[in-house]
Amino acid sequence: MGEVVGERGVVLRAEGLEHSFGVIRALDGLSFEVAGGELYGLIGADGAGKTTALRILAGLMKPGRGTARIAGKDPADARSGVRELLGYMPQRYSLYGDLSVGENLRFFAELFCLDRRVFAERSERLLAITRLARFVDRPAEKLSGGMYKKLALACALLHRPEVLLLDEPTNGVDPVSRLDLWELLYGFVAEGMSVVVSTPYMDEAERCHRVGLVHHGKLLLEGAPERLVGGFSGVVLRATGEMERVEGLLEGVGAGVIAVAPLGGSLRVVVAAEAAGGVERELRGAGAEVERLRPNFEDLFLARAGEVEGAEGRGGGGRSDLPLRR
Amino acid sequence: MTPAFRAVVRKEIRQITRDRRMIPMLVVAPVIQLVVFGYAVNFEVNRVETVVCDGDRTAQSRAIVRSLEADGTFHDIGPARDCGRIENEVVDGRAQAALLVPRGLARDLAAERPAEVQVLVDGSNPTIGRFAALAASGAVDLQGMRVLRERVARQRGLQGAEVALPALQPEPRLFYNPQMKSPLFMVPGVAAMLLLVVTTIATAMGLARERELGTLEQVMVTPVRPGELILGKVTPFVAVGLLDVLATLTVGSWVFDVPIRGSLWLLALGTVLYVFSTVGLGLFISTVSRTQQQAFMGGFLAMMPAILLSGVMTPVENMPSWLQPIAWINPVKYYVEVLRGILLKAADIRDLWRPLGALFVFGVLILTLAVARFRKRLA
Repeated sequence: MGEVVGERGVVLRAEGLEHSFGVIRALDGLSFEVAGGELYGLIGADGAGKTTALRILAGLMKPGRGTARIAGKDPADARSGVRELLGYMPQRYSLYGDLSVGENLRFFAELFCLDRRVFAERSERLLAITRLARFVDRPAEKLSGGMYKKLALACALLHRPEVLLLDEPTNGVDPVSRLDLWELLYGFVAEGMSVVVSTPYMDEAERCHRVGLVHHGKLLLEGAPERLVGGFSGVVLRATGEMERVEGLLEGVGAGVIAVAPLGGSLRVVVAAEAAGGVERELRGAGAEVERLRPNFEDLFLARAGEVEGAEGRGGGGRSDLPLRR
Repeated sequence: MTPAFRAVVRKEIRQITRDRRMIPMLVVAPVIQLVVFGYAVNFEVNRVETVVCDGDRTAQSRAIVRSLEADGTFHDIGPARDCGRIENEVVDGRAQAALLVPRGLARDLAAERPAEVQVLVDGSNPTIGRFAALAASGAVDLQGMRVLRERVARQRGLQGAEVALPALQPEPRLFYNPQMKSPLFMVPGVAAMLLLVVTTIATAMGLARERELGTLEQVMVTPVRPGELILGKVTPFVAVGLLDVLATLTVGSWVFDVPIRGSLWLLALGTVLYVFSTVGLGLFISTVSRTQQQAFMGGFLAMMPAILLSGVMTPVENMPSWLQPIAWINPVKYYVEVLRGILLKAADIRDLWRPLGALFVFGVLILTLAVARFRKRLA
């Protein structure tokens, strides 16, 4: 492809990726680029196409259409030497459960043809920073969810890839280990590695340098998370009161209400800016307490997905058809 | 021998030895099965439980009964309960055969009238039925000859003397297995069967397991090539298979006196070619199954016809002509030919080039097909 791979150059490029599994369209023209030393988040609900995109970028499958490039190389072409540049951690458990932590590390190091001395050095460092050194003889299947993910990460990092693809690395991981994982990723990114993380958790978007919102196999929005949320024009309300009445009222309001989600004993209501005043009045009129909240990434996502679905005639009344909506 | 190949072999050996059930299953079970099969699969019929109804009760009728029981095929379990309904003894399963000597037999013979002895045999098991019927007619023929000789002697006035009759006698000589011992025939067949089971199932399940558990996904993003992965995974099982053949032949010659008359090198060559085929078959099965369970069922479905249509138990030539082509593409058939040839007949490469060539061709074809399918499934 010939792009310059340098400090800030593009090292990963997905261009118009399309793929279908039978009648299910997993990817519908997904395009994005990741620069060297960038932490990029692919954010989307389950089934949005994140895993398919990452598997294509890892060279495990070929896209129906479009191109994927890692440092200008086709990831599906094993002979191009692309695999040495690439680290991939699948969402599913993918290590040998009956082998110990140390044996798993050694096996993957051998597949990457690392010599003994290099392996010893790197595994020692990785075991130290993942705090797995104490468990080196423990079978992988006996590790907790968080430790397992850290081992998988270590296995994907042994050969010092330039690009690291992580498919929902924090799925099934406790909050403390989740923080640990993010800390590790920041460390590698600081050393110049490019990392692509897929996640369905909107709160994790804010941890990335840049995010792409994936919905039905397409990119809805892309940019730095704080900028995206800052540019959100909708209004977020917290409505507290007699729940059934409030919900009934919101059903009746129709257009303008983008998403409704439970929030403790109240409801979190995302409303289009132009309808905000009216909705607020109606809610107050019905005896509900209303308070404006600071929008977050989730609101942005729900609003944008809702718009798209409304335009495509999928959801009703312009509202999103997403898991968080009641 | 690339480093990645060595890594896969080492990992596989580690996993096999770590699983406590694997070694007994792969090595000990086949040997035990060989011993059990060797004793159990026996085509000799030598104890047909028989009830007797001697309605004549003369010296001659007793002589006929004795001569029928003399060669050991018929085992007298006592007199019939009701001679009028002697067939009931066979029908209700008390006996496998019933012998009925009618009243007046001695008188008929003395009067030179035709006389009959009835033998009822349970034919639900054709092997027993055939052996019993053969034994009965043999014994009755013998008794008939004696009667004939006595009659000729009487006519010539040579009471008590031996009379030679101008009868045509067959003089059979059996090569390779003169005592017709079933184990000599069966042990090579069982060895071929066990090798098929161990290598095919282990290969099919090994790869299906990696796919099912997701480990294949992690391995395939490394620079390892599909060929290295497959070879690395099957090599330990090929070694186990060769060990099994060695063990079964040792036990076969020790317990069942199975000879090893031909070249061990030729045997090793044939075995390696055969294992290529069985491993290829296992690999192919793994490419059409998504889970270990499917792989196991697939292996089982492929192995049943492979064993039944191989000549291990019954000759391929006896099968209906439309079924025989299946045996021609069956590696088990060729390996059994090679094994029996080398062990029993001291056959050399000139005698065995056909089955060896067939194994080679089959092995190359199935392995190529399987590796191509494996690559395609990865892509």
